[in-house]
Amino acid sequence: MKKKQIFSTVIATAVAATTLASSAMAATPVADNDLAYTGELTIMHYSTSEESEGNGGSDGLRTTLAAWIEAHPEITVNENVLANAEYKTQIATLASAGDLPDVFMLQGMNTKAWAEQGLIVDLTDAIKASPYYADYEQAYFTPFLSGDSIYGYPVLTGGTCTVVVYDKAMWAEAGFDAFPSTWEDVEKASEYFNEQGITTIAFGNGGKWQANSCFLSTLGNRYTGPEWFQSLINKEGAAFTDEAFVKALEETKRLFTETSIFNEDFNAVTNEDAREYYIAGDAAAFIGGNWDESYIWATLKESDEEKWNNMGFAVLPQPADATEAPTSQNIGLGYAVAINSKVAEDPDKLAAAIDLAQELTGPAFASYVAENYALGGLTKVADVDLSKFDQVTQDFYNWSYVDTEKCEIYDSYINGAVWEVLNTDLQTMMNGEMEAADVAANAQAAYEANY
Amino acid sequence: MLNAIKPSKKTIFFYLLIPVALFVFTVFVPLVTALVYSFFEWKGGPQKTFTGLANYITLFKDGTFWQSFGHNIYLVIACLIGQVGIAFVLVMMVNSKLVKFKTMHRTFGFFPSTIAAVCIGLIWNMIYHNKYGLINWFLTAIGRKDLCQVWLSNSDLVMLLVSIPLIWQFIGYYMVIILSAVSSIDTEIFESASIDGANGVQTALHITLPLIKNTMLVCMTLCIAGNMKAFDNIYVMTKGGPGTSSMVMAMYGYNVSFGQSNMGYGSCISVAIFVLSLLVIGGSQALVKYITREKEA
Repeated sequence: MKKKQIFSTVIATAVAATTLASSAMAATPVADNDLAYTGELTIMHYSTSEESEGNGGSDGLRTTLAAWIEAHPEITVNENVLANAEYKTQIATLASAGDLPDVFMLQGMNTKAWAEQGLIVDLTDAIKASPYYADYEQAYFTPFLSGDSIYGYPVLTGGTCTVVVYDKAMWAEAGFDAFPSTWEDVEKASEYFNEQGITTIAFGNGGKWQANSCFLSTLGNRYTGPEWFQSLINKEGAAFTDEAFVKALEETKRLFTETSIFNEDFNAVTNEDAREYYIAGDAAAFIGGNWDESYIWATLKESDEEKWNNMGFAVLPQPADATEAPTSQNIGLGYAVAINSKVAEDPDKLAAAIDLAQELTGPAFASYVAENYALGGLTKVADVDLSKFDQVTQDFYNWSYVDTEKCEIYDSYINGAVWEVLNTDLQTMMNGEMEAADVAANAQAAYEANY
Repeated sequence: MLNAIKPSKKTIFFYLLIPVALFVFTVFVPLVTALVYSFFEWKGGPQKTFTGLANYITLFKDGTFWQSFGHNIYLVIACLIGQVGIAFVLVMMVNSKLVKFKTMHRTFGFFPSTIAAVCIGLIWNMIYHNKYGLINWFLTAIGRKDLCQVWLSNSDLVMLLVSIPLIWQFIGYYMVIILSAVSSIDTEIFESASIDGANGVQTALHITLPLIKNTMLVCMTLCIAGNMKAFDNIYVMTKGGPGTSSMVMAMYGYNVSFGQSNMGYGSCISVAIFVLSLLVIGGSQALVKYITREKEA
């Protein structure tokens, strides 16, 4: 807790120092649409005040929500804000009880199940009628589709789940001007780093989900290509037991059990621990998500300016036998603003809820996060002026949105029952105690039983 | 006069009704509800489909659940020996005339019981940490770096390693219970034994233990019940990993209910935990009674 408070202070200071003096204002204000509804509207989300001190998406959401509340004094908005882990448990419980809040954050993998159960409003028509529709990044809607219907406005910021953050100076000393593009070269580099007593790449899979979200989701795409996963989502014949995916699992196992690239405690520590290895200089690189990058950025900015300046970003290296998308990285929006189907009983209330969802993901939010954090959301912002940001932030923006190819985040789709099985078996496999084919077979069995 | 201030039976009944009602609504109703839900396929929404015994049939074939049950039994055995057993030995030591600062020993012995399980898990995570942990630091200091390892990634050792913090945490708790039982024994019995030449071990085994048998049975019951629903320490330390190497029933039920949004099967697991806990507690009590009856005969 204390660590988090210190972190929050560090982040707040760093953000304050690197953004413009007037940066707390969005260039585009929230639209003050006339709404007939007067009464209460409940919203549940996980952008806590603590989380928002450094996380552009959370800050943007809170700022936009506050602006919407101010613009609509006739509507009483009751906010229930929980940390993400607690949010996921509570929203699942409320869904089971059929007692969801009016407006809430829908996780991609719950879309189909909750839509089938009639828990959420089909927002297809509302989204297509949105004044911002032309500016929406259409690809972000995919996790929130059930058939042809859209069930949510993708929210917060589009961030990568798999980025290699590396220390340019350390890799230059090892003889690499940039981070290697193949695992073979990383293995060569690891010989040098091991001699120095330095971990080549820090990774943490103690929570079990990291290997899926921050590694396999991208590595799998290198073997299967995007069509395979799309087929899996659409139940069009692809299977976890398909040769290409099993190869991805085998490569994952090889990298973690047969090479000395990673920290040996990767299965016992979390991503939060592993990124500290990088910050402390015990590791030359780190693999994690955009949330780790923002933490590393803020911590190094405050504690080690030189190391901060040396931050570089790379995609996962390409395995020797992989044939697909060598510059791909999994990026997307994992949550969408969704509306409880009970709200539809009152058309005025539904209109208010849709207006709120539209604004939370519209130009007011997008311009705020673009101008203050160099981040992007559902609504595209033309001509983001990167010149006022430091070089590291510019590099990460270009790496995230311009220079790399996008692929899907596995666990934004399908359902938790499948990923729970896969994640658990992945950890066992990465511990050298399970074969890739068995992991694939168990995942396929869970897929057939639950999806 | 006495009758004037004595509350009526009706008043007493209503006062007593409050805790009973609380118990019914917080324990009995959820249990019955879980039993009802266990007969349904209920995957995270208001729609439930009655499937009869399908969840129970799945449960019988569910290798992860039975592996978790095995881990709970391991915990029960380790903690019966570690928590109750060591607590008894420590009570005997603290009660010895040779020991000074008895109050300090009692206080420090009880201290870990007051720490939140999550904090205990974090503390022991740091002890087991392969880079900064106490164990690997000690092994390095004595020149046995070859023995250093990532302790919590070792599937063969992980159950033992997660048991140790549980044992450490609750020794003091059972110490307090056993101490109170021992203090109620007439000191003349110990003096007589001492005059007869009984040493400490003989006094403990042949005098103290039989006299506090019922308290020890309570301790055993509490220990078994506590470890059949173990969750928090292990969740913080390993989340049941690596893989399912330290998975316990309550954590598996939690994962199924909330991670997989499978409330029906999660309810079935909850019912199974309740039934299995009753069986283990009942079985262990019957075993103890049988062993003591043999000795008495």
